[in-house]
This record gives sequence, C-alpha cells and structure tokens, in this order.
Amino acid sequence: MKILNQVENFFGIISKKIGKHPIVPFILFGLVIASIGFLPHTGLMRWGTMGVFAYIVIFTVVAMGLNLLLGFSGLISLGTAGFVGAGALGLGVFINLGFPFELAALMVLIIAGSMGALIGLFSLKVEGIYLAIATLFVGEILRQIYTQLEIFGGQAIRIGAIRFFGFIELSMINQFQRSILFLLITTMMVMMMIIMHNIVKSKTGRALMAMSRSQHAAQAMGISLLKYRLTAFVLATLFATFGGIMYGLYYQNVPTTAWTLDLSLFVIAMVVVGGMKSIYGTFLGVFIIHGIPNLWLKNYFGDISYIFSGILIILVIIFYPYGFVYIWYDLKRLYIKHKLRWMKKQVIKDE
Amino acid sequence: MSKPLLVLENVSMHFGGLKAVDNLSFTVNEGEIVGLIGPNGAGKTTVFNCITQFYKNYQGNIYFVKEDQSLDLRDIDVTKVIAQGLVRTFQNVELIPDLSILDNLLVGAHNQFKTGIVAHILRTKKAREEEKTLKEKAYGILKFLDIFELKDFYVKGQPYGVMKKIEIARTLMSDPKMIILDEPAAGLNDRETDELEVLINEIKKQYKTTILLIEHDMSFVMNICDRIVAINFGKFLAMDTPKNIQKNAEVQEAYLGRDE
Repeated sequence: MKILNQVENFFGIISKKIGKHPIVPFILFGLVIASIGFLPHTGLMRWGTMGVFAYIVIFTVVAMGLNLLLGFSGLISLGTAGFVGAGALGLGVFINLGFPFELAALMVLIIAGSMGALIGLFSLKVEGIYLAIATLFVGEILRQIYTQLEIFGGQAIRIGAIRFFGFIELSMINQFQRSILFLLITTMMVMMMIIMHNIVKSKTGRALMAMSRSQHAAQAMGISLLKYRLTAFVLATLFATFGGIMYGLYYQNVPTTAWTLDLSLFVIAMVVVGGMKSIYGTFLGVFIIHGIPNLWLKNYFGDISYIFSGILIILVIIFYPYGFVYIWYDLKRLYIKHKLRWMKKQVIKDE
Repeated sequence: MSKPLLVLENVSMHFGGLKAVDNLSFTVNEGEIVGLIGPNGAGKTTVFNCITQFYKNYQGNIYFVKEDQSLDLRDIDVTKVIAQGLVRTFQNVELIPDLSILDNLLVGAHNQFKTGIVAHILRTKKAREEEKTLKEKAYGILKFLDIFELKDFYVKGQPYGVMKKIEIARTLMSDPKMIILDEPAAGLNDRETDELEVLINEIKKQYKTTILLIEHDMSFVMNICDRIVAINFGKFLAMDTPKNIQKNAEVQEAYLGRDE
C-alpha cells in the first residue's frame, strides 16, 4: 500500500510539473491526430479519409496565419490562397530544378516572406475594405502567374518522392510512406501551433492586439504601427507558405488552378467559424468547413452537400459569433450548473 | 525641487481656421502635481496631444528635461515618447478589452522587452526570465493599486473605476518621470474620486513622478494640485496655486461669464 502511494505521488509530481507546461496539450493533440495516419492500415478507416485529414492539418496552419491577421491584428487578406500556392508550387519548381527539399522550402519561405513585407508596407496606406481589395488583386496576380507561366507546368507540377537530408525518400504512392508523411505534416502542424502560441503570448502578440484595439494607446505605449503591421503580414504569409510547403510535401502533385479567391474566402470562413484568436478553434474551423462536408455530408447528399455546410456555417455564426470553439465555455458552464445542482441534492439528502 | 521638467513655449495649434491652442506657455516643475483646467472646448486635450506628439504640426516648442538636458519633443517619434519617461492616459479609457488585466499592464512595458520575436518563439531562458521579471513588476503595481486579485480577468466587463485604475497602472509600468492624466476622475463616483485623490498622492510619493492632469471636478483639482494652469479658447489665463486661481477674476469670468 505504501509503495503504491509513493508511486502515485511520484507520478503526481511529474504530471504536475509537465502538465503545467503550455506545450503539452499541443503535443497530446498532435498525437491524437497523428494516430489517424495509421488507422487505414488496420482497416478502421479509408485512405480517402486520411487524405481529408491531411488537408485539414495543412489548412490549420494556413488559417492560423490568417488568424494572426484577422483575429489579433484586425487586418484582412484575400490573397491567402496565392501564398499557399506559392509555397506548394514554389517548392515543386525548386525541387524539379534539382534543389534539395530543405533548401527549396527555405527559399520559398524567404521569397514569400518578403512579399508579405511588401503588402505590410502597403497596408500602412490603406485601411479596411481597400486593403481587402488590394490583397484580392495580389492573390489574383499570383493565380494568373501560376496558370500562365510555363515554369509551373500548365495544369500541375509533379514533385514525386521527396528526399530528406539527401537520403530518406518518402513517396505518396507507398502506403506506409504515406503514413509517415502524414505523421510528418502533423508534427509540422504541432510545431506551428506551438510557435503561434508562443508568439501570441509574447510581447508581439500583445502589441498586435493593442494595435488593432486602440491605435492611440498602442502608440502612446511605444508600439510602432509600421513594425507590427509588417510583422503581422510577414507572419501570415509565412504561415500560408508553410502550409503550401506541407501541401507539396504530402500530395506531391500540385495543381496550378486551385489557388483561387474561393479558397481564400474559405480560409477566412475557417477562422471566423472556428474561433478568432483561438488555436484549437482554427483547427475546429477547418474541420467544420472542409472536414464535415467531405467526410460525411458528401456521402449522403453528393454535390449539394455544400448547401448544408453553408447552413451549418450560418447557424454557427448566429449562435457563436466569436467562433464555434467558444461552445466549450457553454459546456463548462452547463457542467458546473449540473454539478452544483447535484451537490445541493446530496446535501438535502444528507440532512 | 523646483527644477523645470516640462516647458511649453508659445505653443499654438490650429485645425483649419479654428485655433485650438493659442500661444500657450507654461512650465511644470519636477515633483509637482499640476492641473490644467478650462471650460469645455478650451483645448486642454489638444495640449496633451501636442505634448505627447500625437500632433506634430504645432507651432512653438515643447521641451522635456531628461538627465539635465532639455529635449525638444518634436524630434521624438510618438512611439518613442514613452521611452523618455513621459506617459499618458486617455479621456475615454483606451485599454485592450480582450486581454487580461495583467497583459494590459505588460503592454505598458512594451519597450522594456529586449528579446526579439525569435527568442519568444523558442522561449529561450532569457526571454522567460525577462517576462517573469516584468510580470513581477506588474504584480507589485497591481498590489499597490489594490486590484491584484483581478489580474487574470479580461478588461472587458470590469467596472469603470477599475478600468481607470488599470490605465494608471499601465503608465506606471514604464517607470515614468511624468504622467499625463486626461480626466482621471471622469465617470467616477464620489467615493472613487476620494480614493483617486489619495492614490495620486501616493503615486507621486512612491514612484517619484510629476503629474500633469486635466480634470473638470473642481474640488478634486483644488485639493490635489500644487499649481493650476487655466486656459480658455486655447489662450493662457493664469497659472497659480489653487487658492489664487479661485480668486482670479479672469478665471471666474471664463467659467461663469462677466457680470454686466
């Protein structure tokens, strides 16, 4: 009995120490998602389902970037899809030119990041709806470049198996390797979630929020609008481009026509529906917008499934204007209410 | 004690044809509490906006004395003013509603974070220690203002009196040499106003700051200020002790009108 207590104590201390660390929930969350990558081998899940989840994982990263803009900095971009495309197609072009994967990814990030900085500079001049229109055309220009320039291969770029560090080769076609790829992009998502969490909880996150909530107070507190608008746009484009790299990495065949305004709008919907300023909310949003229609609704309703997802989105916005993730607080309240009622009953019984 | 800290020299500011501030000069000395009074529309907030460099195109000069050197504030960017030791609050509380009270205070310490974004992403030891020291500083200030228990709540939904306190707490985070308060007692009830009076005196004593404030609550101004500047239609009327200001004929006229 004594030993048992000691063991319990030991684990108690460990769990207390580790459990408090802010990155632990992200890692646990990542482990749950990563397990999806191995379910198809057991026959419990179809391979297609895993593909849908891969898309969700990738777009969680993209939408987190937009959340930094929309939720934290109060800025908008309608050019997100263009940058996802830049990540995926750019990776393809550089790999096909003979660059190793790591270098290609780095180059794409640097190029897209500097483009983000340009938009950030531009955003100092224009506000609100005008900024939206400007970014809309940045996205449109990028889309035209992808479809018209020959270097992007017309319909699609085939990347094929990707080599890591020059010797580990992973291909989408091999089922086992595909699971490894899924594990890899999940790891990347968790990494980006932790990065996002650390940014948001730091000086930068507070400055972004101060900038959008009260410009005057931000300036009086020493927050430079120029610096933080640039930061916001660079971060958002880097997240989008990183999502694009994950896309290229997993699917290994990148269409040039997919990076349209529709997609940018869907990413905005993911952020709004899921939860502004929430990391898990972003995942939830992607799941609602992309996952639910593709995993279930399509099986029953076919092509008209998007009508149902439209209705779903409207309902969510009516009842949870700050994002569906805030349902968590309602559930918690409900739980506490019932617990209190139950406790009261117990007390009355005892008396 | 009577070293000048803030000097306004013939400051004028107009918006189109309207002269909001007209040839205004006054000096605030170190360690003083100075009140700026005047009827509605007298240009008080405009003076504050000129001092804190929200308006750059004023005429005349505004000097701030830092380490015995007089500094032309016009050369300093609006976001760099706080680094000189000059910090302000706003007439309508300007806080970040969806950040916790503690985080709102940390916004006030923005300039004191020396680590960059990469260090924050990696949560290096230095970045964590920096955050910890500044948090402890914030705890100290929150305890001083008696709102420590509320530190983890959102600002949104807090009573107005608490929000006013948070704004003052945020200014204290920057170790200011001078705090500029824009109507600190507006919207407070009588008890809260009395508390604020004690609080401002305590701040002056403990943090060794100079305070310049705009306020309409006359009994509050008369009780708390060492000297008072009265202005009307942007023009200087008088600068004197509260007692003498009350007797000043021009000030009485500005507030009550002339006896015909």
